[in-house]
Amino acid sequence: MTTAHDTHEHDAHAEHGEYVPPTGWHRWTYPGWLRILWVMPLFGGIGIGLVTLIRWAADWHPIYKGVPITTVLLTTLPLGFLAGLGGFDFWVRYSSGKPTIPDDHSRHGARSWRDYFRINTDHKVIGVQYLVTNMFFFLAGGMLILLARAELAHPGTQYFNPQTFNALMTDHATLMIFLVIVPAFAGLGNFVIPLMIGAGDMAFPKLNALSYWLLPIAGVELLAGLFVPGGGPNSGWTCYAPLCEHQPLGNVFFNMGVQWAGASSIMTALNFLVTIITMRAPGMTFWRMPLLVWANFTTSMLVVLATPFIAGSQFFVMFDRVMHTNFFEAGNGGYVIGYQHIFWFYSHPAVYIMLLPGFGIISEVVSVMSRKPIFGYRLMALSLLAILVLGFSVWAHHMFIAGMAGWLRVPIMVTTLLIAVPTGIKVFSWLATLWEGRIHFTTPMLWAVGFIFCFVIGGLSGIWLGAVPIDVQANQSYFIVAHIHYVLFGGSIFTIFCGFYYWFPKMTGRMYNERLGQLHFWLTFIGFNLTFFPMHYLGLQGMPRRVADYANRFGGINEFVSIASFGLGASTLVFLYNIVWSWHHGPPAGRNPWRALGIEWQVDSPPPLFNFEEEPQVVGSPYEYGVPGARHVIFGAPQPEPVSAGH
Amino acid sequence: MRHRASFLQLALFAIASAVILIIVAYAIPWLPYPASREAGRINFVYWFAEWISIGIFAIVAAPLMYSLWAFRVKEGDTSDGPPVHGHTGLEITWTAIPFLLVTAIAVASAIVLAKNGDAGANPTRITVTGQQFAWTFTYPNGQTYPILRLPLKRHVLLTLTSKDVLHSFWIPELYQKQDAVPGLPTKLVVTPTRTGVYPVICVELCGLGHSTMRSTAIVMDDAAYDSWYSGAAKAAAAPAPGGGLAVFNANGCGACHTLAAAKAAGKVGPDLDKLKQEAATAGQPLQAFVKQSIVDPNAYIAPGYQKGVMPATFGQTITGPKLDQLVQYLVSNAK
Repeated sequence: MTTAHDTHEHDAHAEHGEYVPPTGWHRWTYPGWLRILWVMPLFGGIGIGLVTLIRWAADWHPIYKGVPITTVLLTTLPLGFLAGLGGFDFWVRYSSGKPTIPDDHSRHGARSWRDYFRINTDHKVIGVQYLVTNMFFFLAGGMLILLARAELAHPGTQYFNPQTFNALMTDHATLMIFLVIVPAFAGLGNFVIPLMIGAGDMAFPKLNALSYWLLPIAGVELLAGLFVPGGGPNSGWTCYAPLCEHQPLGNVFFNMGVQWAGASSIMTALNFLVTIITMRAPGMTFWRMPLLVWANFTTSMLVVLATPFIAGSQFFVMFDRVMHTNFFEAGNGGYVIGYQHIFWFYSHPAVYIMLLPGFGIISEVVSVMSRKPIFGYRLMALSLLAILVLGFSVWAHHMFIAGMAGWLRVPIMVTTLLIAVPTGIKVFSWLATLWEGRIHFTTPMLWAVGFIFCFVIGGLSGIWLGAVPIDVQANQSYFIVAHIHYVLFGGSIFTIFCGFYYWFPKMTGRMYNERLGQLHFWLTFIGFNLTFFPMHYLGLQGMPRRVADYANRFGGINEFVSIASFGLGASTLVFLYNIVWSWHHGPPAGRNPWRALGIEWQVDSPPPLFNFEEEPQVVGSPYEYGVPGARHVIFGAPQPEPVSAGH
Repeated sequence: MRHRASFLQLALFAIASAVILIIVAYAIPWLPYPASREAGRINFVYWFAEWISIGIFAIVAAPLMYSLWAFRVKEGDTSDGPPVHGHTGLEITWTAIPFLLVTAIAVASAIVLAKNGDAGANPTRITVTGQQFAWTFTYPNGQTYPILRLPLKRHVLLTLTSKDVLHSFWIPELYQKQDAVPGLPTKLVVTPTRTGVYPVICVELCGLGHSTMRSTAIVMDDAAYDSWYSGAAKAAAAPAPGGGLAVFNANGCGACHTLAAAKAAGKVGPDLDKLKQEAATAGQPLQAFVKQSIVDPNAYIAPGYQKGVMPATFGQTITGPKLDQLVQYLVSNAK
């Protein structure tokens, strides 16, 4: 969609020489899909050779063994793919002393749809690449769970055996978390963060391109795992050891797929941190940053500090499986509960990784659509930091019944409950921002309000689960399924839709259809609540999660939930139709359809190739709605600052 | 559309929200009726948190809905709202009050947690063993059963262990739950207060048969429990007549298989009353077929069943004379 269309692109290329496509056999050595055709099998062969050689040298039999070979192939094949596509060309040339190809920006921007299928260093192209990829896996992950819900409509076994059912629900959760929610925020952030802080691009554009291309690798591995002999990954997205260590081959695909997603996530977060710290426009102090930038900043710190832990947990499981170590094997001195500690040390902060950027999006939208400054800006930013710090001290609340050290339960309960305080500050501040505003009930605003409603329910059920005695009854039941969906669907996914509709005109230059947008919201909101609210009851009454079969007395409610979930799934069709249609035929949106103050709204839609023709100069807060003459940004030569600089 | 707020109307919104929430909270029996002392205490914490949640939700929902109703403007309106940047007093209030509320929940929870872990001076001790995909319950007299019997109004200290992977023991009506961890015995206290028959459920994904890993707990009054237990003790003292039956029960075979002689009615795996027929289908002599099916269950899969469901670990856990007894027992009962 971000087809660079105007004169800037031609200027850039006139200066650096137009890109000439290679011809003849050069097409096979030039970065791209043809080169992948031979580099990928080459790397695959190297992988197989390496494993066989090591096993032969160590005299391990059988020398040719499926599980270790698969594990290594899931690493070397993607590396071959990336090398073929050109992900490493710059660094390989640089480190081998060859002259690097001058950074002529020929790999910047998109002139046709083909430009989205190569290493592209433009943050706006990468943002779109992310979002389209996320949408694909959102549909895939949704389809998987609708199949599982069909099975769950009645007690007993109808369509799927336990192996298939477990694989469906495992892959659903894994795709939704690692391929949809976490990277969707990276995608939205990629598009808007450099624009919001007045930067020409991200700090490390080549790293940025590489981090995107790790993501489809993760997704393809997770989906491919469903079709391998023995069946797909079947131990749930938490993949607890020791169960997952003795499961079919599909679990290896989970193991390695998660690693690729995690690596992508860490690299992007580093990029965001450096970009936000070093590339803000002149005048943009930390206290003048939009709250989405604050949110991305704190989220990126969480990602950089926490994500290595899930990598560790999956590596240990892989070692146990492939190399016969005993990290988590009780019989051989392994530490069974250790897996859960390491896993949740990432996976609880991951919940905030999936929420804080959403908080940022909601702050932007609520302020603009209420035509009022965000209420309590500094406390809003500080509460993000409070969640960041507290977020690292609550991991063990997933383990109140796991058999960990008993004394740990009360301190972890206290920190868990305390997180309600900064979260509450955010909710109350949004309400105060709405209060006496001039509320424009547009599609993004609908999603924002729907988010507040659902997230408060998810937050309150989170307080219940934080209180150990209630958790003892509710843990591992359908109550957890309800809670996690109120937080990650009613929470995260709603904010992603909110941000998607809000910035869609900026990304495409066209307006979406408002009526269809509102229809999409209402169908999703109603379908969502009908699907997930009854699950609270099922769980407290005694229905465990992750079962293909359940006691007969839960049959009626499960049938209702399944029907509601099909409606919820169908609501996505409205969204797809709206997006595809509006992308081509929507009315032109202009620069600033929301009359917003943010820097990104002061440039063309879609923005020019290098974002800004004149350097932006930040002169005030981004939320000064209703303050006469207030401006957030001016372009061109520095002018005397207007008086009302906000804080 | 108006631009000034009416706090009276806001209060009406809040009251209406709270009334709806109270109806939802009380009209639906969200939790099972508590059948143990521990459950009664947890129920108290639940209602404590429920009332706080009702208050908070009403306080959030009312201004949210009221704002949308009162401050909505028509399309094309280009006016701005009042430039209010914050209010220190309000911000302190909505930091301090939630802090106090969650502190109160934490204190109540910590007290209940301590009480619920107290088994008293002389509890009844039962060992709960989880394995793929059955629970077994071992009493101090050494007898093992596939069904849990609990005495009324006595502290029971359950020690949980697992033979293979993680399992989690839950009786929803008693509100108590604890993981069974391989290599690490864990403890759980229950003090039943209502006689009855309750489900025992595994709530930690433990493999393909996870959803069928259910058993039954029977809470009996004192007299019934004591007479059952002394009868069981006599049975234990007598020379084991059916050694094979004991092995069958101790390993939870009946959770998945049907066998009339053992009063087992599991439906996960093949019907053991039809072993002769199965051996004929497999084309193997009966004795060898039965032994192989225990030690190496994936070697032959009966039509209509799935590979990998039956644990492959019985070859290591049932050995020597026990294995012979079990094979003999199954062969002699095969029809």
